[in-house]
Amino acid sequence: MTRGSRLDQVWGAITAHAAARGVPVSLHVLCETAIARLPVTGVAVAIPGGFLASELICVTDPLSRRLEELQLTIGEGPTLEALAASLSILVEDLDAPEYHKRWPLFAPQAIDAGARAIFVMPLRIGAVRGGVFALYVNRSGRLPANDLAEAWVFAQFALELVLNERSRIITQDGYPLAYGHFETPPEVHQATGMISVQLGVTMGEAFARLRARAFADDLPLSELATDVVTRRIRFTHGDTG
Amino acid sequence: MEPMNEALLVQTFVKLADTLVDEFDIVEFLHILVDRCVELLDVSAAGLMLADSYGRLQVMASSTENLRLLELFQLQNDDGPCLDCYRTGQAVAHPDLAVAKDRWPRFAPAATKAGFRTVHALPMRLRTQIIGACNLFHTNPHQLALSVTQIGQAMADVATIGLIQERSLRHHETLIDQLQTALNNRIIVEQAKGVLAERRSITPAEAFDLLRAYARRHHHRLTDLATHVIDGSITATELLNTTSTSPPPA
Repeated sequence: MTRGSRLDQVWGAITAHAAARGVPVSLHVLCETAIARLPVTGVAVAIPGGFLASELICVTDPLSRRLEELQLTIGEGPTLEALAASLSILVEDLDAPEYHKRWPLFAPQAIDAGARAIFVMPLRIGAVRGGVFALYVNRSGRLPANDLAEAWVFAQFALELVLNERSRIITQDGYPLAYGHFETPPEVHQATGMISVQLGVTMGEAFARLRARAFADDLPLSELATDVVTRRIRFTHGDTG
Repeated sequence: MEPMNEALLVQTFVKLADTLVDEFDIVEFLHILVDRCVELLDVSAAGLMLADSYGRLQVMASSTENLRLLELFQLQNDDGPCLDCYRTGQAVAHPDLAVAKDRWPRFAPAATKAGFRTVHALPMRLRTQIIGACNLFHTNPHQLALSVTQIGQAMADVATIGLIQERSLRHHETLIDQLQTALNNRIIVEQAKGVLAERRSITPAEAFDLLRAYARRHHHRLTDLATHVIDGSITATELLNTTSTSPPPA
């Protein structure tokens, strides 16, 4: 299929950036690479929070930090909406009347802080809600289709890294897709559903457990998932991961 | 072949074109498309692949389980008529897969082994935009009549327009966004199948049958129902209670 596509280009850019900095691949490296490749001012990654609505886990610049914190303070804005609805939110001009109406507190303050366009992509796999990938731009304008497609790829890799961290999987420089969901067969998602019932946990927690065990046992995720679906393997509370 | 069921054909076109209704559900929509292909075009099995935002095909619907496995095999081995069709945007056909090993060295033997002898792959295309392919399989060496492939292509065209409209009109979303939503909805349904399979000690395939039957009976969108199953607001017991006439809370 179309390998050598956007996925390879973006992952290649992320690993090259990490290598140039002499650091391992991380969310921060990913966000820096996104700024270098996309026409945006700043990037932030937030995950669903416990006490607060969201938890900022990576941010590249003061503008993005200010905008994320602003939303938490006033309780409205695109990140919070994308987290709640799991839909992407593409704001080409924050100063347009519809956005002042939608976010009467956030819009004027965000513009004051220097933001004009915002593109937020949810990080999700079915019912698993991993957070959001947010792009901030200091001038208005649409994100060209090619950049938007690339932003989605960055978002998917960001999700991969968030999930790896949650499953305590060490992200190697190689393609993280061995544990990813890009080409995962349906059995992986079916197994996630089954594990969520077996352990009485959320879909996100079930998926993290499945990934952790595949990593620990050095098994392809699809193979372990098939064992779960065919009832050769059950998850119990005693399992680590 | 048998005379075509014209009433069903007309009804199918109306259904495929009608993506703007409130209860539109993309997962259900794609399943209807493959089921109707089997019924109307006199083929043994039909499958549908759509490209995700990375331009990679994903199996979105298959009328049978062995076809789903064969479609996955094509993707994994990067070999087969559906991929050729998607890449070129042109219909691809082979009347006898038993002698197609030169063309598809990995796919042809696997297809024959799965019991399929004939394939027709129809592009899902609107002008220059190719969003996927619809694949028709027959268990006998077989050449579909031109009129039949034309109807198949017309169904694929209407479905493509329906999908693209659903994306652009309903939510002002981009195609990328909508394909992402479509893929995600399919994953939600898979997760719900797992939940139900575990709760009722049944297979995921049986769980899917239960979900679809219940969604139809109660006019639920399949994705909404799957979400309710996952969050526990509809229990496995309720789903099994086929005699129930009162719809559950939406």
